Amino acid sequence: MRFGRTSKAVGVAAVAALALSACAANTGTESTDEGTEGEATGGNIRVVEVNAFSSFNSSTSEGNVDINGKIAYATHSGFVYINNDLEVVKNEDFGTMEVLSEDPLSVKYTVNEGVTWSDGEPVDGGDLLAAWAIESGYFNDAKTDDAGEVTSGTKYFDYAGDTGGLGLTELPEIGEDGRSITLNYSEPFADYEVAFGLMSEGGIDTPAHVLAEKGGLADEDALIELINTTPAGDPEKPVDRPEIQAVADFWNTGFDTKSLPTDPSLFLSNGPFIASAITPDQSMTLTRNEDYDWGPIPKVDEITVRYIGEAPAQVQALQNGEVDIIAPQASADTVEQLEGLEGVTVQQGNQLSYDHLDLNFSGVFEDEKVREAFMKTVPRQQLVDTIVKKINPDAVPLDSQLFLTDQEPYEDAASSNGSDTYAEVDIEGAKELLAGATPEVRIMYNRDNPNRLNSYTLIAESAAQAGFKVVDGGLGSSDWGAALGNGTYDATIFGWINSGVGVSGVPQIFKTGNGSNFNGFSSPEADKLMDELIVTTDPAEQDALQIEIDKLIWDSKYGLPLFQVPGVDAHSDNVTGMEYMPNQTGVWWNFWDWQVVQ
Amino acid sequence: MSIQTPSDVPSTEPGTVTGPVHPEVEPEAKGLSQGQIVRKKFFDNTAAIISLVVFAVIFVLAFSSVGFAGIPGWWKYNHTEFLPLVNGGAPTVTGPFSWGEHPFGQDSIGRDYFAMTMRGTQNSIIIMFIIGALAGLVGVIIGACSGYFRGWPEAVLMRFTDVIIIIPVVLAAATLGEGVNRLVGAGAQIWLLGLFLGLVLWTGLARLVRGEFLSLREREFVDAAKIAGASNTRIIFKHILPNAVGVIIVNTTLLMSSAILLETALSYIGFGVKAPDVSLGLIISQNQEAFQTRPWLFWFPGLFIVLICLCINFIGDGLRDAFDPRQKKFSASRAKESAKPAAA
Amino acid sequence: MVTYIVRRLVTAVLILFGASFVVYQLTALSGDPLEDLRASSAPNRDELIQARTELLDLNTPAPLRYFGWLAGAAKCIVPFAATCDLGTSIQGEAVTTSLSRAMGNTITLVTTATILAIIIGISLGIITALRQYSGLDYGVTFMSFLFFSLPIFWLAVLLKEFGAIGFNNFLDDPDIPPSTIAVVAIASGLIWALFASRSWKRKGIAFLLGAVVAAALLFVLDLVGWFADPGLGPIVILLTGVGIAFGIVLLTAGLRNRKALYSSLIMVALGLVAYYVVNPILNAATVWMIILLAITTVLVGMGVGFAMGGYDRGQSMRAAALTGLLMGLLIVVDRFMVTWPSYVDNPRVRGRPIATVGAETPGLEGTFWINGLDTFTHLLLPTLALLLASLASYSRYSRASMLEIMNMDYIRTARAKGLSERTVVMRHAFRNALIPLATLVAFDVGALIGGAIITEQVFAFAGMGQLFVQALQRTDPDPIMGFFLVAGILALVFNLVADVAYSVLDPRVRVKA
Repeated sequence: MRFGRTSKAVGVAAVAALALSACAANTGTESTDEGTEGEATGGNIRVVEVNAFSSFNSSTSEGNVDINGKIAYATHSGFVYINNDLEVVKNEDFGTMEVLSEDPLSVKYTVNEGVTWSDGEPVDGGDLLAAWAIESGYFNDAKTDDAGEVTSGTKYFDYAGDTGGLGLTELPEIGEDGRSITLNYSEPFADYEVAFGLMSEGGIDTPAHVLAEKGGLADEDALIELINTTPAGDPEKPVDRPEIQAVADFWNTGFDTKSLPTDPSLFLSNGPFIASAITPDQSMTLTRNEDYDWGPIPKVDEITVRYIGEAPAQVQALQNGEVDIIAPQASADTVEQLEGLEGVTVQQGNQLSYDHLDLNFSGVFEDEKVREAFMKTVPRQQLVDTIVKKINPDAVPLDSQLFLTDQEPYEDAASSNGSDTYAEVDIEGAKELLAGATPEVRIMYNRDNPNRLNSYTLIAESAAQAGFKVVDGGLGSSDWGAALGNGTYDATIFGWINSGVGVSGVPQIFKTGNGSNFNGFSSPEADKLMDELIVTTDPAEQDALQIEIDKLIWDSKYGLPLFQVPGVDAHSDNVTGMEYMPNQTGVWWNFWDWQVVQ
Repeated sequence: MSIQTPSDVPSTEPGTVTGPVHPEVEPEAKGLSQGQIVRKKFFDNTAAIISLVVFAVIFVLAFSSVGFAGIPGWWKYNHTEFLPLVNGGAPTVTGPFSWGEHPFGQDSIGRDYFAMTMRGTQNSIIIMFIIGALAGLVGVIIGACSGYFRGWPEAVLMRFTDVIIIIPVVLAAATLGEGVNRLVGAGAQIWLLGLFLGLVLWTGLARLVRGEFLSLREREFVDAAKIAGASNTRIIFKHILPNAVGVIIVNTTLLMSSAILLETALSYIGFGVKAPDVSLGLIISQNQEAFQTRPWLFWFPGLFIVLICLCINFIGDGLRDAFDPRQKKFSASRAKESAKPAAA
Repeated sequence: MVTYIVRRLVTAVLILFGASFVVYQLTALSGDPLEDLRASSAPNRDELIQARTELLDLNTPAPLRYFGWLAGAAKCIVPFAATCDLGTSIQGEAVTTSLSRAMGNTITLVTTATILAIIIGISLGIITALRQYSGLDYGVTFMSFLFFSLPIFWLAVLLKEFGAIGFNNFLDDPDIPPSTIAVVAIASGLIWALFASRSWKRKGIAFLLGAVVAAALLFVLDLVGWFADPGLGPIVILLTGVGIAFGIVLLTAGLRNRKALYSSLIMVALGLVAYYVVNPILNAATVWMIILLAITTVLVGMGVGFAMGGYDRGQSMRAAALTGLLMGLLIVVDRFMVTWPSYVDNPRVRGRPIATVGAETPGLEGTFWINGLDTFTHLLLPTLALLLASLASYSRYSRASMLEIMNMDYIRTARAKGLSERTVVMRHAFRNALIPLATLVAFDVGALIGGAIITEQVFAFAGMGQLFVQALQRTDPDPIMGFFLVAGILALVFNLVADVAYSVLDPRVRVKA
């Protein structure tokens, strides 16, 4: 019978199987030692970023994204960096910055011997010269019309920073030692300290030999030669510079990549870390640059960067022990939740951006008394209490138009500029100034930003008590920016970002007729002081000038700064050494102090 | 020219599908009109009735509490007032009849969360109904015309449907939302958002209705009507449409419940209802970070979203069962029992 | 048929042209790409604005800019020329590169979820249809609508809280408190009771059985430290295998078909032998090896079924192949379980295996098994979230379809012939109920590549949805157009596939050429 045979076969198989299993006892599948050896086990810190890495050149307008800047900060060195007191610190282990003369301003930069790129090439004068050529806009001869269209000439290097400072310098010469250049300014430049080789802007981040080679030149010397012999740009007389164009074309886009290039020359490091692995849009690994000893020495072997956009996802990843450091977008609930977590340290502070209320010097606010009356109604303390306090318990209303609370001269400026008049809401005082008038005020703001919306609501409510007729001029996020300065509103609430270091931003906002002066503020006296400010190199004098300008602005009833935007970062207690940093380098600023608790 | 028989209907062969209702009434319901059958079946469906009641309660609560269209409601606050925090912003409700100052608590800047939730519910319901009505109307008209007339109207209408299908809804909503804000300001945005979403969400229904019409137009009673001299309009509206109404209602209700979720998703990525107005989707996504610290900001609007969706779905389910003459209560064991004697 | 398909394809190209123009204009209108720069106080603000204006060519009106894009995109049609130019994003990455990467990520994320949703959803639909208006029907309907109504980011937060953080904490100290055992036991009992048929007595027995089995299982597993050091072992594999064999034969051929049963049981025995024999090879496993082994298993299964012979060889072959495949799955699962402790202790994982974000642990290098586990721990939660959210539509549609079929005349005829209920359901009703679902599935597969915007965002998955939303937030037209092309083409193609598949599956539907 077939059936019988089959049954037998099944039986035999079953018996065989059981016998075999008896032999093997219950060990089952043997476990093998898998994947534990050969890993970098000591000192790996995992830090979260919101945006995904996209370029090894963070200085182009395309690559100028916060994460790229942070990676550049960790993988390059420079002459100076900024600490979390917003002071400029020199990195003498990398090289020296020496002021040869104050007036005319002349600064000599020398790279120390032994500083090399990760391919062994020394960091030398050629690299400095190339950096200068890029950041000074020396070759640019583009002319643009009002619509922003280039009408003649070319902008070669698509540098995202301001070329105004180094633009004052003439073509520098490489020193005898081959490791230095001297920058001679045509007039004193206030921000000279941070104009060249600032680490948070990538430091010295372009290897000249790679630039030369990829730009179609023979070698670094050829590039130096080219820079030295090509004529400077003159918008009036544009000429073609095909070789510079080729080099610039490579610099503009050649370093853009979301994955690790196969060609190591595209991600050379001269800093503490070097990129070692990238999973596009997910994570990036930085490992120690073995040669590096010219600057602060990091304590960890490896930094893993992971990109997580959502704040709740960041918090839960930290809670789950998947990451060590997060810097989520600050909200009251995020902070409270973080504080509730065990084994997590939360750091709170201010950011460098601040919200402010600007009153137009035209229309209904042309009369200074009306401006003053409106300013008296602004409930600044209440704004801080409702919007900022829960995120940063130390927050106070911002009392200076030029300084942030984190900067040293802030106290002096705030106590002398007359801001104390507006510390409290003074409805009666405002009514007196209005003398029965009920001016109609249209306030423009970004309706899609909850903080601005809340500010508007509170300000409008208070102003109405004094007799103002407030009209809601809020616009959607894609419209409000274009409306700035177009005269369709009387007051506006929005934010500025203070660079924290340097003074070039001051005239941009406050000087008569300048690009970001949207409310028509104009004070000849302040203009004069600002002209003086940008050619003053002494920090103490800069502060004194700024305090004066600040007072002039307050006296003119310009409007009011409201509060600094709060920031938060958090790290697991498995790691130490993090310190809060208000500027955009964020928690990365002292990554060399990060340490894994063993 | 296209496919002869519908591609979207659950079954196809004329005579076995969701058949016409008036010529052949189910034997056990003899003597009842179509409306009576539907009503009876619907009221027999416990889940649907409970849902209907719950939804009615939510509806009345939302519209009466904070008022609507200028008519003031009975609740003391509105959704934009800033109020001093009571009880740290936590809910004060302690029982069904002791609501306290802020029954659902307050958000971080002191707005009354009950008022916000009610206003949000109102808006979500409005959006839902506009989408339902509009998508239903457009979908039925386009589906009916292409299914009934066939030929080039069908080709044109169906390819037009394809165009709408492949335009991403999120993109349309984002662009139209921006345009709305520019044109009319915040006041009317709820209506316009609903309007625009309705104008892009009708495609699925159109395909289904077309399928339904394709099979129904071949039926004898349509031929009879034609011979009797009925106009196309009359045939479409008086003869075919009543037979397709089950499919239409069911899919419209499903569409409505997914519309609430779509609005939530849009708000989450910043393209839905914009502040200062609120919708359930907006406040729940604004407060998603409060999940652990102030859960009430999350739970109350969430609860209303879930309740509305569940109610609409169950009502839709009940309607489907009620309208579908073929879908009588089926029981495997009873079917087996009745089959046995035949087999024996 | 061919004429019909060709005609549809040609129209599809025209539709793409029209729609792409509309989409381009919509994108241009959707926001202000200069927003962040306008309110900048940087000294070189004007230059930055000018640079971006030039990059995006903003001074050209959008309708004209479209043709610039079209000229690049048209090159993609040229075969083998590799000149495809879909433009670049604001950050300077070619859209073709980012698209292919995002597509890869999306496919990893949604494939498992979609397949599982289809299988589970349809099974639930069929079961609830067979038990219409029972407690089970109401329970399943309620749960699936509940998950359907929950905003997915809410679902994600909950899953992360309990599925990842809570479970990882539990793994640190795998000790189940009695209260948890009690809760799980009651829940399991309730589920069993729901599935049991109508009489209260049987429900009660099912409840007790379910509760006791669950409690005992948890207790034993807890006692032997199974959660820290899991594994199945040969005995469990054997017992489960026998269970599987009976189950499969019951569903596909009926237990009365002894040949099918024996073929399946032989496969179980062979599987157990293979468990020992294949083991050493598995140390160096790769994906291809596993696939190859699976194919071999199927072939062996069919061979065994064929050798058993009988009047209906096909049934035996199917049952044996299926049993073999599931046995193989058990062996692979066992292997993964055995690897688990070394994965958990990996210094990159640091004892927190279940992840809340991303697709992989950065820097983890290991064998096939370690990486497989890594993928599993990362995909678990997003897959679950997507699965729960999409169960409703499949279960509802299949329930409706099944209900309709069960009232058909030919089902009545089949019953009248005296066929067993299994045959009626599995052979006559089930297959026909699947036909309308084919359309639904085809649509979903087409829409699948569009990504799951919110799921991707909350689980930090850089897929198509995220590509689209980020570009939209920056008003960056090229990535949006790239997204649209891929999603649009797939939608159109699968739309056509759905129509054609329907006419192929259902012989009553004919395509008119």
